[in-house]
Amino acid sequence: MAAKNHRQWTAEPNLQMNEWVDSRIYSDPQIFEEELQKIFKKTWIPVCHESELPKPYDFRTTSIAREPIVVCRGPDNEVRAFLNVCPHRGMIIERRPSGSFLEGQPSGNPKRMTCMFHAWQYDMKGNCVYISREKEGFQDRLCKEDVGLRRLRCEVKFGGFVWVNLDDNPKVSLEDWAAPAFQCLRKSLDAEPLEVFHYHKAVVNANYKLWHDTNCEFYHDFMHYHNRVTGFNDAYFARKNEAFDHGHVVVGTFQVNYEKYEGFESRAALSFPHLPPNQWYMIDLFPGMNFNLRGSALRCDIVTPLGPDKVMIEYRGLGLKRDTPEERMTRINHHNSIWGPFGRNLHEDLIGVQGQGTTMLPGSEPRRILHGRHENQTIHDENGMRHYYEEWGRWMNRRPSKPDQPFSEAIAVAAE
Amino acid sequence: MEVRPVQPPAGFIVNETNARQCPGVLETSWGNAVDAANLVRDAIYRSTIALDQQDWNGWLEQCDDEFQYAIKSWSPEINKDMTYLALDRKGLENMIKLLPKHNTDHSPLTRHTSVYTVEMNGDAIAHAVSSVIIYQTLLDGINSHIDAGESRLFLVGKYIDKLKIKDNKAKFISREVRLENRRLDKGSHWPI
Repeated sequence: MAAKNHRQWTAEPNLQMNEWVDSRIYSDPQIFEEELQKIFKKTWIPVCHESELPKPYDFRTTSIAREPIVVCRGPDNEVRAFLNVCPHRGMIIERRPSGSFLEGQPSGNPKRMTCMFHAWQYDMKGNCVYISREKEGFQDRLCKEDVGLRRLRCEVKFGGFVWVNLDDNPKVSLEDWAAPAFQCLRKSLDAEPLEVFHYHKAVVNANYKLWHDTNCEFYHDFMHYHNRVTGFNDAYFARKNEAFDHGHVVVGTFQVNYEKYEGFESRAALSFPHLPPNQWYMIDLFPGMNFNLRGSALRCDIVTPLGPDKVMIEYRGLGLKRDTPEERMTRINHHNSIWGPFGRNLHEDLIGVQGQGTTMLPGSEPRRILHGRHENQTIHDENGMRHYYEEWGRWMNRRPSKPDQPFSEAIAVAAE
Repeated sequence: MEVRPVQPPAGFIVNETNARQCPGVLETSWGNAVDAANLVRDAIYRSTIALDQQDWNGWLEQCDDEFQYAIKSWSPEINKDMTYLALDRKGLENMIKLLPKHNTDHSPLTRHTSVYTVEMNGDAIAHAVSSVIIYQTLLDGINSHIDAGESRLFLVGKYIDKLKIKDNKAKFISREVRLENRRLDKGSHWPI
């Protein structure tokens, strides 16, 4: 059939119910607000890497689902996370992206988190240790012990990433939630300390799931000249797309021929520990995190949804902490050649997802977005997205293809 | 009538060495050193024009065979000095040659460059620091119906250049684009 009229265009595709979604899940403001409450405030999010706060009293600020967070390393070397909110008048306590609490601040003392507004101070365990004119103002009605910071679940795991969960009682432990998906790389990531060498961010007018879709599906490699010339061969098309519990997906490895792209080089000499040369693994975690290891450099994407049609993506690049300056520079170059903000592939990915966002603005006509490719669960099979949206439906109790209806486990399973 | 010596421009550091030893500069005077500095300034502004015109090869013609190019930024997020791109001349040539193979945001970039300082040394080498503000005039990056024609601030930073002066011409030996930005949105495939 050629071009379609409106009825034909909006008709359900001749595919199973789990092989497409309604575009409103990428644009509806109410669905977006529900996602923040039901998913992002309930799940584990890697907010930074331990190498970003290497010394006691170092800190890093971040946010999840609009809640500001401060992560700090205590004098006992423990990394802890708190809401970055003063319990007094709701002021954000630490305004810088990173730094050290060893330095005194205009309103407070060294070794303290100080709210600049009224000089209330907290230690690295979140205890309130100073209230200015405490007795004079509160007499015995309220004291320091009553007003500690809001502590958050926080663990350092899977290659030294700092994971935070806003839910005090998560449904599943971090280990159980992500360990099976990390299994393929865990030995490599945990062999020795890693270190972040790259950070930048992109704010894109598109739903966060569209970015995660792009990381989950490799069919879009047709967009990347680099990937076509360095990858399209039998081994590439045999790469497995493996689904794991909790909505995660892992794309199996193969050997990339970097030399086939003019000006690029093999990454064999700097492979991560325990890996054969020039391997390429991809781990996609629900609801929007990506760990991508191309031989010598690890990339991590973390999404922060800002609206139904707006997302911030933070990009990190990591190498081994023990790198010599020369090794580090080589890793950086490898990372940047494809993934840097001036590299060959990331720019193309972001144009792609921005283009999707342009057609799926809030209020735009609902459409069917397909992910119905079946290729024996290999790299261009879209089973990764089908698996993701089944998990999404479960958390949201909405059917991805008919988001006005409740999710039915039976329908999803039967369709698969 | 009193004859006053030529004064170097603001920010130009002239000393005995750079005033006397610049090849192509005929006499030892403030004015001759200024001549050399003007060659440097001229090269920086001409390179800006070539880059704005996407005349990549024309830009590279202004660069020495040993040219080194880097885009860098300090990150207060991770407390690291970062390199976002580093290429030698050959690497740049490869990158430019393969541009048509890639899908790209074609929104033109317009650089406003102001040369702040030019410092010469006796080896006919000039060090220059310029402020650069880069605007992006949207074309096909988002939704052309709505956005095409709109100019946005894209990048803020400095050009830290090293040039050599020979035969009355200034050629780039190195350029470091030192960005303030860490939010780079879609980024770019093009030399900045």
